[in-house]
Amino acid sequence: MLTIEGVSKVFGATRAVDNVSAAIPRGQFVGIIGRSGAGKSTLLRMINRLVEPTEGRISLDGRDVTRLDGRELREWRRSCAMIFQQFNLVGRLDVLNNVLMGRLAHTPAWRSFPRLWSHEDRAIALSALDQLDIAGLAAQRAEDLSGGQQQRVAICRALVQEPEIILADEPVASLDPRNAKIVMDALLRINKHFGLTVLCNLHSLDLARTYCDRLIGMAQGRVVFDDVPAALTQEVARQLYGMEAHEVLDADLGPGLMAPESATAAA
Amino acid sequence: MSVQSNAARAEATGAAVVAMLRENARTDIPYYGWRSHGSGLLAIAALVGIYIAGVAVLGITPGRFFVGLFRLGDIIGLMWPPSPETWGKFWIYMDALGQTLAIAFLGTIVAAVFAAPLGFLAARNIVANRIVHFGARRALDTVRSVDTLIWALIWINVVGLGPFAGLLAIATSDVCALAKLFSEAIETADRRPVEGIMASGGSRAAAVRFGIVPQVLPVFASQILYYIESNTRSATIIGIVGAGGIGVYLSEQIRVLEWSQAAFIILMVLVTVAIIDAISRVLRKAIIGRA
Repeated sequence: MLTIEGVSKVFGATRAVDNVSAAIPRGQFVGIIGRSGAGKSTLLRMINRLVEPTEGRISLDGRDVTRLDGRELREWRRSCAMIFQQFNLVGRLDVLNNVLMGRLAHTPAWRSFPRLWSHEDRAIALSALDQLDIAGLAAQRAEDLSGGQQQRVAICRALVQEPEIILADEPVASLDPRNAKIVMDALLRINKHFGLTVLCNLHSLDLARTYCDRLIGMAQGRVVFDDVPAALTQEVARQLYGMEAHEVLDADLGPGLMAPESATAAA
Repeated sequence: MSVQSNAARAEATGAAVVAMLRENARTDIPYYGWRSHGSGLLAIAALVGIYIAGVAVLGITPGRFFVGLFRLGDIIGLMWPPSPETWGKFWIYMDALGQTLAIAFLGTIVAAVFAAPLGFLAARNIVANRIVHFGARRALDTVRSVDTLIWALIWINVVGLGPFAGLLAIATSDVCALAKLFSEAIETADRRPVEGIMASGGSRAAAVRFGIVPQVLPVFASQILYYIESNTRSATIIGIVGAGGIGVYLSEQIRVLEWSQAAFIILMVLVTVAIIDAISRVLRKAIIGRA
């Protein structure tokens, strides 16, 4: 059970995340939804402490992780692997070495720095690549790959960390629909097969409804919805995305180029 | 519908858009661009004024300039044909040129070896401590502002005349310049791989080793090559004050007015620099393209 209790993050005058609480049982696939700037990314990054919470407490099975540092913090980060929107691979390293970055916390520096990875680690990394059908790319430079391929490499890196939780920060926002499906399917498979908890930031409601067991909706740093996807009504969606009704449709556009009439007339 | 009428319609709608814009022409929206013609003219006038003042301070008159021009013509005449006179002298010059190249190469390598750790120390994204960072930067700037030639004069007094003083002069003046360039390359490195490694449970050292080093190494290599190239010129100059290499012979030949030999030495340096320039360009391209 991952427990988030009253967590906030203050950047200057803005409360990016404002008093968020949630309890996430092991093995759940949780989608965190909301518009850009709602605090989804900051919340995820506070869990693995890439961002330090200003207030509140995060714990796994009763063990507080908000005070960890040094070796313990690295061990915690190993156990909750992160997948990024921009993949965050080392572009100039080859694919296999990028996956092996996931073994850093398992490997002493004297071995990892000169890249003297054990045969076992290499075999594990290659197996992960094979699971995602990209073993053939192992020797390629990461920056030469397509976005979809890079994200699959990032998933492999996450898997070889032997994580218990996967934090995915907009994993498919820079991908085309087909690659988005491949990546989301891979996350779902990991979740169902191995029972890993997945926390996934998404801004596509369709994907969130399709893949998640539970949705947490955020707006202005606060949780405004927390339930099964079926409970997500139009009303809630509108509240989350602050939407169409008053911001887009009713806006006063004036008579100029932006008026819908002239758009249809030109077509 | 024919192509022509399509085009005609497009023209008509384009004209209609402009017509609409013209109808709604706005003269009431203020626009303050950063440049105005007045300040541009003022800047040019100021530059001309400073130039004239400089000429006056130095006491340069057009007469002196034209007399000088004739004398330059005489010297160029005396330089022709460039020649080492004897094969014996040619080999002496070749040997000295080799010495100059060795000074440039070894000096730059020594500078780079010391500059690399300093560069990391002076990079804001590596050393978060502001005092350390500020101190490192100021120290680098101070040492960097002393020219190679001055370092050569200092080292000659410390280790005596000869190429060793030249090597030390190049190394000391470039260690800080290279460190500053290195630290800038480190600071502009993409942050995302670092984040990826930290999130995988890597230490800060691992984040530098795998997140930053692979990004900056090709940049470092390219800068070192450029410095070897430019130091071939510097090493010629410091030879003139006695820090070894071809410069010693060049200044000697000029002093004894052996213009054709001086011209030959200048040509040797030019050709050498051109060759090094070509080699380093090929190497730099290879490194940046794939490392």
